[in-house]
Amino acid sequence: MAVWDLSVMVEELGPEAPPLTVSVTSDLHIGGVILKIVEKTQIKRDWSDHALWWEQKQQWLLRPAWTLDKCGIHADARLTFTPQHKPLRLGLPNGVTLKLRACFSSPVFRTVIGLCRVLNIRRPEELSLLRPVEEKKKKKDKEPEEEVYDLTGVPLTSGSVPSLYNGMPAHFADSPQTEAVYKMLSFTQPSPAPETIAKMYRPASVVDKAHIHSRWLDSSRSLMQQGVQENDRLCLRFKYYSFYDLEPKYDVVRLTQLYEQARWAVLLEDIDCTEEEMMLFGALQYHISKVSQSEPPPMTSCPAMDDLDSALQSLEVKMEGESSSMDMLETMTAPELHDYLKIFRPKRLTLKGYKQYWFIFKDTSISYFKSKEEGFGEPIQQMNLKGCEVAPDVNVAGQKFCIKLLIPAPEGMNEVYLRCENEKQYSQWMAACRLASKGKTLADSSFTSEVQSIQAFLSMQRSNPSAQTAQSDESINTHSLVSPRYHKKYKAKQLTPRILEAYQNVAQLSLTDAILRFLQIWQALPDFGVSYFVVRFKGSRKDEVLGIANNRLIRIDLGVGDVVKTWRYNNMRQWNVNWDIRQVAIEFDGNVNIAFSCVTANCKIVHEYIGGYIFMSTRSREQSDVLNEELFHKLTGGHEAL
Amino acid sequence: MEDIDAMFSDLLGEMDLLTQSLGVDTVPPESPSSTNKEVNFSIGFTDLNASLNELEDNDLDALMADLVADISETEEQFAKSKSGHPEPHPDPKSFPPPLQDHSFPTPAAVIAPHIPAPVPQTPTPQPPPPSQPSKPLLPEEIEAQAKADKIKLALEKLKEAKVKKLVIKVLMNDGSSKTLMVDERQTVRDVLDNLFEKTHCDCGVDWTLYETNPELQIERGFEDHENLVEPLSAWTRDSENQILFLERIDKYAVFKNPQNFYLWKKDKKSLKDMKDKDKDLLLEENFCGSSIIVPDLEGPLYLKEDGKRSWKQRYFLLRASGIYYVPKGKSKTSRDLACFVQFDNVNVYYGKDYKHKYKAPTEFCFVLKHPQIQKESQYIKYLCCDDAWTMTLWVTGIRIAKYGVTLYNNYKEAAKKAALSSLWSNRTTASNTSTPSTPPTAKTAPQPNGHAAQPPPPPPPPPPGPPIATAFSEAWKRGDAKDHGDASFLPPPPPSDDFLPPPPPNPMMSLPPPPPDPMMPPPPPPLAAKKDLKAALKAVTPLPAANFPPPPMNDFPLPPPPSDLLDAPPDFLPPPPPALGPGPGAGGGGPPPPPPPPPPPPPAPAMSAAPAPVLKKVGPPPPKRTEPVAAGPPGGDFMSELMLAMRKKRADQ
Repeated sequence: MAVWDLSVMVEELGPEAPPLTVSVTSDLHIGGVILKIVEKTQIKRDWSDHALWWEQKQQWLLRPAWTLDKCGIHADARLTFTPQHKPLRLGLPNGVTLKLRACFSSPVFRTVIGLCRVLNIRRPEELSLLRPVEEKKKKKDKEPEEEVYDLTGVPLTSGSVPSLYNGMPAHFADSPQTEAVYKMLSFTQPSPAPETIAKMYRPASVVDKAHIHSRWLDSSRSLMQQGVQENDRLCLRFKYYSFYDLEPKYDVVRLTQLYEQARWAVLLEDIDCTEEEMMLFGALQYHISKVSQSEPPPMTSCPAMDDLDSALQSLEVKMEGESSSMDMLETMTAPELHDYLKIFRPKRLTLKGYKQYWFIFKDTSISYFKSKEEGFGEPIQQMNLKGCEVAPDVNVAGQKFCIKLLIPAPEGMNEVYLRCENEKQYSQWMAACRLASKGKTLADSSFTSEVQSIQAFLSMQRSNPSAQTAQSDESINTHSLVSPRYHKKYKAKQLTPRILEAYQNVAQLSLTDAILRFLQIWQALPDFGVSYFVVRFKGSRKDEVLGIANNRLIRIDLGVGDVVKTWRYNNMRQWNVNWDIRQVAIEFDGNVNIAFSCVTANCKIVHEYIGGYIFMSTRSREQSDVLNEELFHKLTGGHEAL
Repeated sequence: MEDIDAMFSDLLGEMDLLTQSLGVDTVPPESPSSTNKEVNFSIGFTDLNASLNELEDNDLDALMADLVADISETEEQFAKSKSGHPEPHPDPKSFPPPLQDHSFPTPAAVIAPHIPAPVPQTPTPQPPPPSQPSKPLLPEEIEAQAKADKIKLALEKLKEAKVKKLVIKVLMNDGSSKTLMVDERQTVRDVLDNLFEKTHCDCGVDWTLYETNPELQIERGFEDHENLVEPLSAWTRDSENQILFLERIDKYAVFKNPQNFYLWKKDKKSLKDMKDKDKDLLLEENFCGSSIIVPDLEGPLYLKEDGKRSWKQRYFLLRASGIYYVPKGKSKTSRDLACFVQFDNVNVYYGKDYKHKYKAPTEFCFVLKHPQIQKESQYIKYLCCDDAWTMTLWVTGIRIAKYGVTLYNNYKEAAKKAALSSLWSNRTTASNTSTPSTPPTAKTAPQPNGHAAQPPPPPPPPPPGPPIATAFSEAWKRGDAKDHGDASFLPPPPPSDDFLPPPPPNPMMSLPPPPPDPMMPPPPPPLAAKKDLKAALKAVTPLPAANFPPPPMNDFPLPPPPSDLLDAPPDFLPPPPPALGPGPGAGGGGPPPPPPPPPPPPPAPAMSAAPAPVLKKVGPPPPKRTEPVAAGPPGGDFMSELMLAMRKKRADQ
């Protein structure tokens, strides 16, 4: 058989070095070629990660047993002998860029699996890689790109379950640097400065959102094939909004990153929500960042323990009271608050202002008396706060500390304002009111933490007299918790009470619960999980929007934004793609046929999205933890992949 | 009969003596905490005695058990107490025992004047006043036992001591009523189970405890997970509110046909023949994910303007976070929406006859209000829909948004019960003999003081004869058929149709004895105390025989059994029973009013077997009923002695 010369670039010889030439025959297999190349370089090193890349055809030669003939390689082929794993700059959902080695030769689907294994994210099929928005108006453009975490030194483990060491996967425990990376991955990032949010790219319309979705990489082809170069930047994002089996115990990184993605979606108005919802999101963000800052996760108390504690406490009280005389008992009763406060009841149409009385807070009730001396007699009034609404009415600068109470009664709600003298008094009485509204007493163990969180929130207002001096100290500007729309609508000090109001319902959540709550509210938004594409339906003359969600397709009017029609996947008979005219055709039960071509995105992306969701829905039925990669490609690949 | 009552009053006398000697009855009821206002408290009765008279045997037994426990405790204290320490008499939850010598006549069934608090009425100190904290038992116990046990026990006791109990009257859909005792730990589900046992209905998922408020003309079904006592505590003293036991197809319609709620925009035809598989998928998508998805609901509704009788149309949207409306001149994008109400502090009710009351545009109104509001108020929000179906959509949507996955869990629980009970009825029809075991579904109400081991009361007289039996089973079949009909498609539930005509004389509430001190220690621990209790009992009086028969027997000979019996057929059916004719059914037809007519003649024991098959077809045989009549081993056991005595009494009557 004829011997001919094959020229191969070897990066290790230096960029200027001429290509190596090896003499081969057509029946030589790829493995043999590689052997010859390695011998010729005379460099001793580990070549095991290297493979041949065929530049003209944009493909890898990964089957060592195939002959050159079978691969169709002739003397004119320009081959490169290059490592399959190369460093990649990865933008994480939390906005941090991480440098690590990714596989450039396997399909992106598998590359993502590899990345997620390194990052310790379970269920990698839900994520994919997104090309970032153009450098100019880029999402996360921290000018000098200063903080890049480096994980390139970390060897890729092949084991599917990384062993744990010090509570983190072993490969993070190697050095302080990698430990810091793990901390970055598993802890939420501090709230961004309001200016940062304002500067970032925000999709202004459905069309803008549709353009974002045109950037997804093709899961069935490798990074190299899609023109991604070494050290390029890609974004790792949750792509399929169908989060299977979230388990806080194993999913620390996954939950954190999911939360970050959701948070940014809210802050950048990628998903619409109402003002009330925004305030709650803000309150949760505040709470999450506060709780995660205090290093050891605080207040991981469970209600049962509280119960036991208070029970034991009162048991103690009783026993002591028993051994001594009766009056001893009187003094040993449940804790109470008492103070001179001012009260105002706007019920009647009088202009009477605040009047001062002696107040006693006991159990879940407030009683008030003319004076302290009369505190043992009949109160002027007693108000049980169980089930009432409590709202702050506070202005730190104006030294106004009021508690607004809406107390339910058979006749309606009674509106009552209590005015406190100072912050300390206010935070105690406020905490007591909040607990009482939930039916808890002052003896409840959460009282102290409630007082503290109220004080912390008040100090936020105080330490930010001018809204623009943000971020130097630890306190948070409330503008960093909401989308820029509300920066214009409200001043920081107007926003604080609103967020505070929402905050009281979440203040007692643990870190994990707060994150889960955030995700829940996010997922309950009507527009949650819809990915938009501009398409042209067959037989229609105008562009329309196709929304793809985890259970349905939505046809949306581009002009008005109204939902025109929805089709559910479970009614879907079949779908196919005509690759020549780039049209997706879908048939539903009852002879419903639709077809559309894609305007903003490659129709492969749309096809993969639909197939991907159908793949996600098969997961629950599969018992094994092993991903059925083949099925995924079958559902999403199309003929190009085969 | 006389001697039972004699013994009973003996017992009470004894108790008086004891309490008096301890100097407690002078302690005024100084309800120290306002949180625990009413501990004993009956709802739907003209007064406490009426309520007691209607309590069924086992409930009365439970009350008795309380009393007995108190006595034994008092006895113990008496024995131990040092003269320097007047030991109060703890009585956390017993009702004032109704005596034949109570100082005022039992009001007749007709509208009796409302008597606010029965305590002061009874000059005798029988209803032991709430006591001061006293815990003579605690130290010894604590020393004696292991630490862990102590804590558990103490916790248990502390909880028990604070348990609030209500005697409630539940109106059946045939106008009759049932009386039962609920404590604050019981969920609506527990109470429903209890009622299933009492009524032998089909245990279907649609059975609902339903609250009506005639003053506001609103009503709603309690959710199964709610604690019944809590909403009832919000009723005012003069409340005319009622609790009904009826079937509501709207209760769980969303889980039977989720497509009607989640895909309501689609054409009705395709929804009608939706496959079960697809329904399941819908439920899974919306209720089994990490977040509950509320139905996508929006449209114009009429809102009643504050304080006026005019209604204004607005465009409303339902979201998980609340109801929103589109402000004038704004779009319906999320950020423009104005919040109308959030669900944390409100419940949703159906409004009745608002066309008349408030000039509503249609009769299809629903109301949002804080559960504690009982009278007209600006804080109540009234909304009106164009048609019944829209109203059902909204009310159901709001319930989903408010309760989330709890609602679905309630349904699953209810469906499990229903399936089990039908399984049971199938199995038991085969064998004619009564099985003494308790069906797994049957849950007996928690007995006070943990006297779970009480002997069940003797079986009530069996239904009198075949006419009822056949009508019963026929009706059952019809009910069954109807049920299946519903499953395929849910018609807009006629909001007012399946609601019954208001039952006869309106019962009122009465306030029973003052609350005990919440700090007070509980009665002796159930198990440990049991032995002492028995011993104490024996020592005190010739009690055993007199202990358990319902006290009011003398006045109203044996009311509960007949009422139970006669209620049974009608109760489980939505429509009143087919004309039974003026048979025995008519004779005992009105058990609710306090003095029921004399019961039908005592049954021959042999008869009890006759109706059994019919009854069993309907529901799991409740344990008390299936207790073999002759099974009580004579002598030996204290409890069985009691039973025997009671049975003898009954037979003699």
